[in-house]
Amino acid sequence: MFKPLTQKSWAGIGAALALALVLPLITRDPYVMHVMVLVMIFAIFASAWNLVTGFGGLKTFGHHAFFGLGAYGSALLALNLGLSPWITLWLGGLIAAAAGLLIGTPILRIRSMPHVAIVTLGFAEIVRICIANFSGLTRGEMGLWGIPQFEGFTLPGIGKVTFSPADKVSFYYLALALLVLMMVVIVRLMRSKTGLAMLAMRDGEDAAESLGVNLTRMKLMVFGLSAFIVGVAGAFYAHYLLILTPASAVGVDLMISIIAMVLVGGLGTFAGPLVGALVLTVLIELMRDLENYRLLGYGLLIVLIVMFLPRGLVTLRERLFPRPQE
Amino acid sequence: MNLAIFIEQILNGLITGSMYALIGSGIALVYGTMKVLNLAHGEFYMLGGYFTWYLAVSLGINPAIAIPAAVAIAFCLGMLIQKLTVEYLILRDNWAFTTIAATMGLSIILQNAALLVFGANFNTVPSYVSGVMVLGDIRISWQRVLIFVVALATIGFMTWLLKYTRLGWSIRATSQDRDAAQVVGIPVKRVYMICFGLAAALGALAAAMLAPINAINPWSGMPVLLKGFVVVVLGGLGSFPGAIIGGLLLGVVEAVGVQLTSSEWRDVISFTLMIAVIWWRPWGLFGKK
Repeated sequence: MFKPLTQKSWAGIGAALALALVLPLITRDPYVMHVMVLVMIFAIFASAWNLVTGFGGLKTFGHHAFFGLGAYGSALLALNLGLSPWITLWLGGLIAAAAGLLIGTPILRIRSMPHVAIVTLGFAEIVRICIANFSGLTRGEMGLWGIPQFEGFTLPGIGKVTFSPADKVSFYYLALALLVLMMVVIVRLMRSKTGLAMLAMRDGEDAAESLGVNLTRMKLMVFGLSAFIVGVAGAFYAHYLLILTPASAVGVDLMISIIAMVLVGGLGTFAGPLVGALVLTVLIELMRDLENYRLLGYGLLIVLIVMFLPRGLVTLRERLFPRPQE
Repeated sequence: MNLAIFIEQILNGLITGSMYALIGSGIALVYGTMKVLNLAHGEFYMLGGYFTWYLAVSLGINPAIAIPAAVAIAFCLGMLIQKLTVEYLILRDNWAFTTIAATMGLSIILQNAALLVFGANFNTVPSYVSGVMVLGDIRISWQRVLIFVVALATIGFMTWLLKYTRLGWSIRATSQDRDAAQVVGIPVKRVYMICFGLAAALGALAAAMLAPINAINPWSGMPVLLKGFVVVVLGGLGSFPGAIIGGLLLGVVEAVGVQLTSSEWRDVISFTLMIAVIWWRPWGLFGKK
């Protein structure tokens, strides 16, 4: 992870980014654009979960709470206070980050992984039930609709950019910009000294602490940052789909999909969550007719990957063609 | 508030709590011996409910035979699942996470398999006994009394099993020190398998007893699993007696909490209690540090 990027990996990153940038020039089909926007929302979510779980070593199972808080927080602020979604997008992230710090505090004292899993799952359930029960504000299970859309603006040289359900291309570029921004933040963080300290914490808490890593600050930082990123993804989701229900925004199904994506792609790698989000989302769309088997497939994938390819698809090449030992 | 109704609610809470205790003790048994947090435990409850419903309602078998049969099937299923997945995973690095992830995957598989086989309907089983027990102003249905009696009998049986049988000694030795147990000739792998089976059977029994009150559908397992987690956190993760006390306590706390607020907030009350306990006493209310 701390090796300098080779020319090959730079070329790979450049090619992926170039492909993502020119895709709308090849096809403006709303369906393709819609699927790709979902891929990028999930990719942001998956990368943030991977930051806590894969790099930080805090195995949480309740990150959908932050997605829902970001989504509902941003939508309600925009609806009730009349703030622009461009502002509430970040406020949604901050709400999620505050919740992340709140739930990160009890986790600080726990070293046992099962306890962390239980606390985070329980917290997400609390958030879901609260959103469903405060129906005066959130309209509960009826669904929150009428969420304001992003305002359009004029970009010099390109012309007017509008955000409407009919034209998904602008959403596509906005999602891409968010994804690139979040990936730059995560990669910069992980390749810094802080990232090294975080990996040390993951691999041996006591050893890391004895070498001067401030575990409290590190855990709160990674939890808050990850919650912030997931919250922004949730807020974008709210202003993109324009309708929210407790099940769709805070359902445990969402978390299961994200876990499946990260495990399939490769836990604890940069590219894993992105690959996983792309592969699973596209695979699911291709198998639309088999909707009833979707979750069954996710479950099977999780079990098979955990048992037979524990480090994910991105390590498949090394597994198939191991490099000769030097 | 009427005192009789209040006492009635507390008693109902104790009865519900006795079922929480059965579910929680299954989670505690698996965690205590293998240190595995089984996220598929709720699915054993759900499947136990379906087995009971299928045998007692669809096939019309007498519940006195159908319930033990459903529990036996769940026992075998639990052993099979442990043999196929967890047994390999606990031998590898990073097993604490991979077992959680794998049992989460298993839980989704079992849920959706149940959905395909049994459909999304709510299925109920008629009460095993009818009528209402009247004690002064307090009225409790005999079905609930039966639930409590079965729970007490099961807890008694499990205590006897763990304390006075060779199997129980092996289970307790394995949970204290796996390697040392292996050295003195305890078949640790078989103990793990039996523990998983016992846990599944306890979950299935709880479902069978609750089936006349709580309808069964493919998603019944998840809420039960979360309740089971609250129970084991209250009692200290991995402690069998802790799970029993934790279950009864949770039942009473919920009954009082629902009286003070409303039933929509029941789960929020129990999860908040759980997070508070983890915060202040991560080793459980009754356990030692």
